Amino acid sequence: MFKAIVSASTLRDALDSVSVLVDECKIRLNEEDLSIRAVDPANVGMVDLTLDAAAFESYEADGGVIGVNLGRLEDIAGMANSGDLVHLELDEETRKLHIEMEGLSYTLALIDPDSIRQEPDIPELDLPASIVVEGAQLDRGIKAADMVSDHIALRVDEAEEAFYIEAQGDTDDVDLKLERDDLIDLTAGPANSLFSLDYLKDMNKAIPKDTEVTIDLGEEFPVKLHYEFAEGLGHVTYMLAPRIQSD
Amino acid sequence: MGNSDLRSLASITELPFAECTGSTVAVDAHNWLYRYLTTTVKWTNDAVYTTNDGTEVANLIGVIKGLPKFFEHELVPIFVFDGGVTELKDDEVERRREQRRDAEEQLEAAKERGDAVAAARLEARTQRLTETIQETTRELLSILDVPYIDAPAEGEAQASYMNRIGDVDYVGSEDYDTLLFGAPRTLRGITSKGHPELMDLEATLDRHDITYEQLVDVGILCGTDFNEGVHGIGPKTAIKLIHQHGDLFAVLEARGEHISHADRIRELFFDPPVTDDYTIRTDVNPDVDAAREYVVDTWEIDASEVERGFERIESSMVQTGLNDWL
Repeated sequence: MFKAIVSASTLRDALDSVSVLVDECKIRLNEEDLSIRAVDPANVGMVDLTLDAAAFESYEADGGVIGVNLGRLEDIAGMANSGDLVHLELDEETRKLHIEMEGLSYTLALIDPDSIRQEPDIPELDLPASIVVEGAQLDRGIKAADMVSDHIALRVDEAEEAFYIEAQGDTDDVDLKLERDDLIDLTAGPANSLFSLDYLKDMNKAIPKDTEVTIDLGEEFPVKLHYEFAEGLGHVTYMLAPRIQSD
Repeated sequence: MGNSDLRSLASITELPFAECTGSTVAVDAHNWLYRYLTTTVKWTNDAVYTTNDGTEVANLIGVIKGLPKFFEHELVPIFVFDGGVTELKDDEVERRREQRRDAEEQLEAAKERGDAVAAARLEARTQRLTETIQETTRELLSILDVPYIDAPAEGEAQASYMNRIGDVDYVGSEDYDTLLFGAPRTLRGITSKGHPELMDLEATLDRHDITYEQLVDVGILCGTDFNEGVHGIGPKTAIKLIHQHGDLFAVLEARGEHISHADRIRELFFDPPVTDDYTIRTDVNPDVDAAREYVVDTWEIDASEVERGFERIESSMVQTGLNDWL
């Protein structure tokens, strides 16, 4: 059983954060929240999302799992205005999701959850450094790096208490230095890892610019990016595997 | 090559790369190279893939363009080259050679007429795996640390055998004959656009409610690399006849038909010449610089044709996966 009403913007924020990595996913309709966990086909980037029942206008679920084509669901959600409410109801018989908004009603065929790739295990990482920045600052660093290279280094200088976003291209280099005062918070520790910009750009697309992003970082370790949406009732954690540093 | 009639019988589904990442694949090397040669040669100016003295090495472009797909999805290819020609296949090989000679003559004619389209199509058909192509492919695979083995006879029989005994997860081939060689799982189109197709033997047998032996009989009735099929018997009819009569010989008797060497052809599928003399290695560490030197400097391939492939190989080597931290 699943029946819920949610604002179109909250639904879109949730879907966008997952669709940047995968085309299809399983959605767990737990009693207390809705959750999604997915990894991209190459096993490089992962998303773990929960949206609390309180983020919905109303929410009733009893622990079922549905499989959805994210592109289709996003297209439907895209038909609503941000302020509109979207009604969702699962028809257990036909395994279809009924979606209604402002007079528009849509029946979405679901995908057999067993045909969707298994949800990944989450690596347990003990990451020594933690940086809290505004989404807009991270966006600026990623956009600058993208001008010169296809990979990006994230680094903490413990002595300077500064966070660096760096990229080296064939001819040009880019550095963005953010000192403690520029950051919302910093736990300094040994941290320096290199990442593919393709992935980070996609994740960055989904991160709201006005949100706080927590970046957990180590030395040649995956990075964890957390942020909240839906007024703190939605939580997203991205995890991205590093590239091997060549020198 | 092989019999595409089998496609209509085979259970074939798309297999997302996500579901086969980390697998080993025994690739029918000739089948794979042939495909690349026919496409590379079709679209590329011949100056790009021949040396100054006119030796054709389009295979090197094919290898560099095709391999990244394997690496990017953490698939380990084991290339299986053909050994000697199976005796029975001699007639078929001879027939194909004749076809090629015909194509070559038509090609000359097309070139004289200035018919570029016809010439390009014919050129594709006249490609063969020359000594140089065989040697340079092996050499390049060695430099890239990609494992390969030499089959005693048919590469696809050897690859299917390795899959059957569980030494590799999949066979990689565009041929449907891997079903007849008893390969449980064949991946088609690994290096094509999009996701590969999985051809599943068990599901194929279930779909038609026949045994593996009966599937081979169906194949022989429709025609294989080793024999012409029986005139007027297509895949659907063949299944029906096998259901009705039980096996190949009963069908032939009932229809008053004859296939020469039918016994030996069956044996070639059931028990082809294969070897156990190989080791499966999954730690592949390509020397991309050496490969670049080999392809661009030694064999004079236009760098612009292969640079993107080399870059993809390089970046697939440096990206780690999240499962490394589980």
